[in-house]
Amino acid sequence: MSYAEHFQEMEKGIGLAHAIAEADRCLLCYDAPCSKACPAETDPGAFIRKLRLRNITGAIRTIKDNNILGGACGVLCPTSKLCEKECSATGISRPIEIGQIQRFLVEYGWQIGFKVFERAKERKEKVAVVGSGPAGLSCAGELAKQGYQVTVFAERSEPGGVIRYGVPAYRFDKKFFKNELQDLYDLGVEFQCNTKIEGKAGVEKLLNDGYKAVFLSPGLWGTQPLIPGPQNIQGVFTSADFLVALREERYEELGKQIKGKRVAVIGGGSVAMDCVESASKLGAKDVYLVYRRSFAQMPAEEDERLEVLRLGVHFLVLNQPVDYLTESSGKVNALKLIRTQLAEPDASSRRKPVEIKGSEWELDVDFVVEAVGQKPDEAVDWSPAVKLDKKGLIVADPESGQVSSKLIFAGGDIVRGPALVVEAVQDGKVAARAIAKALSKT
Amino acid sequence: MTAKNIDLSVDFAGVKFKNPFLLSSSPVSNSAEMVAQSFEAGWGGVVFKTLASGRWPIVHPSPRMNPYHYGSTKMMGLQNVEQISDRPLKDNLLDLLYLKKNYPDHPIVASVMGFSTEDWQYVAKAAEDNGADMLELNFSCPHMTIEGSGHKVGQAFPLLEGFTEAVKKVVKIPVMAKMTPNITDITEPAMFAKKGGADAISAVNTFRGISEIGRDDWIPKPNIFGVGAESGYSGPAVKPVALHFIADMAKCKGLGLPLSGIGGIETWVDVLEYLLVGATTIQVTTGIIHYGYRIVEDMAEGLRDYMASKGINEVTDLIGKALPNLKETDHFDLERQGRAEYNYDICIGCGQCYIVCNDAAGQALEWEAEKRRPKLIEDKCLSCMVCSFVCPVPGLITFKEMPKQWQRNETAVMDPSLEKELKYERFEEVDLKT
Ligand SMILES: Cc1cc2nc3c(=O)[nH]c(=O)nc-3n(C[C@H](O)[C@H](O)[C@H](O)COP(=O)(O)OP(=O)(O)OC[C@H]3O[C@@H](n4cnc5c(N)ncnc54)[C@H](O)[C@@H]3O)c2cc1C
Ligand SMILES: Cc1cc2nc3c(=O)[nH]c(=O)nc-3n(C[C@H](O)[C@H](O)[C@H](O)COP(=O)(O)O)c2cc1C
Ligand code: SF4
Repeated sequence: MSYAEHFQEMEKGIGLAHAIAEADRCLLCYDAPCSKACPAETDPGAFIRKLRLRNITGAIRTIKDNNILGGACGVLCPTSKLCEKECSATGISRPIEIGQIQRFLVEYGWQIGFKVFERAKERKEKVAVVGSGPAGLSCAGELAKQGYQVTVFAERSEPGGVIRYGVPAYRFDKKFFKNELQDLYDLGVEFQCNTKIEGKAGVEKLLNDGYKAVFLSPGLWGTQPLIPGPQNIQGVFTSADFLVALREERYEELGKQIKGKRVAVIGGGSVAMDCVESASKLGAKDVYLVYRRSFAQMPAEEDERLEVLRLGVHFLVLNQPVDYLTESSGKVNALKLIRTQLAEPDASSRRKPVEIKGSEWELDVDFVVEAVGQKPDEAVDWSPAVKLDKKGLIVADPESGQVSSKLIFAGGDIVRGPALVVEAVQDGKVAARAIAKALSKT
Repeated sequence: MTAKNIDLSVDFAGVKFKNPFLLSSSPVSNSAEMVAQSFEAGWGGVVFKTLASGRWPIVHPSPRMNPYHYGSTKMMGLQNVEQISDRPLKDNLLDLLYLKKNYPDHPIVASVMGFSTEDWQYVAKAAEDNGADMLELNFSCPHMTIEGSGHKVGQAFPLLEGFTEAVKKVVKIPVMAKMTPNITDITEPAMFAKKGGADAISAVNTFRGISEIGRDDWIPKPNIFGVGAESGYSGPAVKPVALHFIADMAKCKGLGLPLSGIGGIETWVDVLEYLLVGATTIQVTTGIIHYGYRIVEDMAEGLRDYMASKGINEVTDLIGKALPNLKETDHFDLERQGRAEYNYDICIGCGQCYIVCNDAAGQALEWEAEKRRPKLIEDKCLSCMVCSFVCPVPGLITFKEMPKQWQRNETAVMDPSLEKELKYERFEEVDLKT
């Protein structure tokens, strides 16, 4: 199989009969707990009831009206922690497959050509959205529904942020995303791709250019070196660079470095899991997951951890990387590790790993991915009016996303730190409502 | 597909409703507080729980309902022995006044029942004087504890005509007669109602039925302290029969009255079907007992989207549209025949088709045990299509018309050698064409 076949398409979702069977199992709860558990108010209680009562188009409308990335959320939400966690049917047998139903309904809408949105009567006010990830798209969609003229500035050649350039295509592919994006185009949202808002006080410029409000949703694309000192060791990637390269379909270039080789991925979160799985799919001989705490402490979901274990990834837990060793050419050839053991709980209330003196050892590797967390891009200077916290995250009012009285708003990962697609969607919606309210006053 | 410009409003016997969805007369329309809640949810109007004069005391048996479940499906049907309203007439009238004041754009139909001519006239007048926009005469409750009332009147056509006429004499608002399904030909009582001056017909009230019998005590349910009774059965289980009553009246040449369809309505698809056979408004009880007032949202939204997809802007354009296609069975073209067509590629191998075809149809399927697949012997297929009714995979089994020269194999005789023992003389065949 070619690389492309391994990577380009995600698995099929459920079909009509399966969705109806699930809707038939639904208990149609009063004050549906699933609806209350959805961070973006997608309202599964209502859309499943609609499906049950043969109102399929209405079900699709409920999803998309509440969550313009309803398809993406149906695919990507960790539902066992969100809506499905609260499902009453668990008391009888198992939760209703809410994410799957949601994805099905959205895809079914595309299949029958059902359009939820129509272009609204245009208003004169222009709004700028910086960053085209889930938060930016949601904000843009919500404003466009009300007739505002929205321009989304996207750094890369296509919109989408992490769901286009981070999440591997075998989990969320381009074809699916293209269908979902169509709604934004239909609503009249403008995209300026290959446009990074930068330079001193980039946001002020937008405000001076006639945009009445700005929504900042640049996500977390800055890197933090794992090992202090000069970087640029050949064969060492950050997770962002590695996953972006995959989403840019640079399979040959990566394949050359990985196929038949030894790969180490450092980290224990969901992003690390995406990296080890991708390395396996690229044909690595051995994939090591290096993590300084224990298996049970990994932030990644349990099913993700088990899935990659099943793929044959070697888990090197209780090991802390200390240095890279390189060939004379400058290419990495080993990872120096030190064993750790768990001591008393730290601030995250997880037991803290402490190094075991004298236990250093070397793991021979040809390729390393550092998946140790994302942080804000330090190169960007938004505006003196935008306040940052210690971690460099933008400080915004949680009720409205407002950052400054100059009608600057923010949401998504840049405010929350690493979070979820569905939370970014909600931030975009909340800010859009606040923006519309502010603009209708001026 | 835009659902924005769609008009769901109807003119029904001169009364304007913003949509054709009405609560039917029952516990769902028992008080102003409840009805107000339903209007907020989107219902277009109400047929208020049947009012009585108060001269005869009304007491509800306890308990008063029993469900008919089908597998994991709850409440396919519902049986009840509830009586007409047990509230004092004065309270009901105050509630009508409240609704009239607060929801002037939601017409109120007052359901009424009397136990003598004067009694009918008294309740009817009281309802009209206190805000009713229309009356519904309850000739159809099948389990009144007061002798000779309810559907006993609906089954005695001249009585029905007489009471209708008596009510018409004392009120100016339109009067609708509610029919019982517990008769043979519904057009007969409907014509009597018309002669009495009715302006519209609603149908149907509940069917006499028995939903369940206690397995330990053999007492039919609902079990009223040791006694069961045949009583009103409603819900999705009765819809196909109720639908035919509406169609019959819509096709009845002499009748020509607007119709309000009732029986088993839950979804917009049900509503659509009632409209297509000639109803102008529809009424719901059991669907609300099952799901609450909220179902109206799905009725309205589903119907709007459907109409948008068909390019139909006014709901009135749907009324009666299936009637020209609804004929007596002698109109069938029996020359044209078909059979089932299988798409084996999507088969999941459950084998339910094989079971039913073998036990209840043409025995036209073979079973390939290794592959777990059915195989159709095409010329044995009766085209009854029962296999497709049980198949869990949509689109796997479809109906396909066959060319004229195609021949179906006669069902084989088990043992032709028995012919020598046969006592039989062939009857001359009738030529249907002459
Ligand atoms: C590998 C990975 C896998 C994940 N998997 C899941 C998952 O399965 N389920 C889930 O719910 N969540 C998942 N997440 C988290 C989720 O993707 C994020 O929470 C979400 O994408 C945040 O959205 P956002 O809009 O805030 O930012 P982003 O998605 O990061 O989008 C920000 C966009 O802004 C652009 N940008 C940045 N600065 C500028 C600038 N100055 N000018 C113009 N454009 C700029 C960036 O290039 C980017 O395109 C995952 C995250 C990662 C990294
Ligand atoms: C509990 C109960 C009480 C009812 N009471 C009345 C009534 O007082 N007057 C009346 O005309 N019909 C009454 N009906 C009949 C309903 O109005 C309706 O005609 C019937 O239930 C069929 O519609 P459905 O299938 O939507 O329930 C009652 C039905 C039920 C289930
Ligand atoms: S958006 Fe996500 S969390 Fe919300 S209902 Fe849909 S799948 Fe569940």
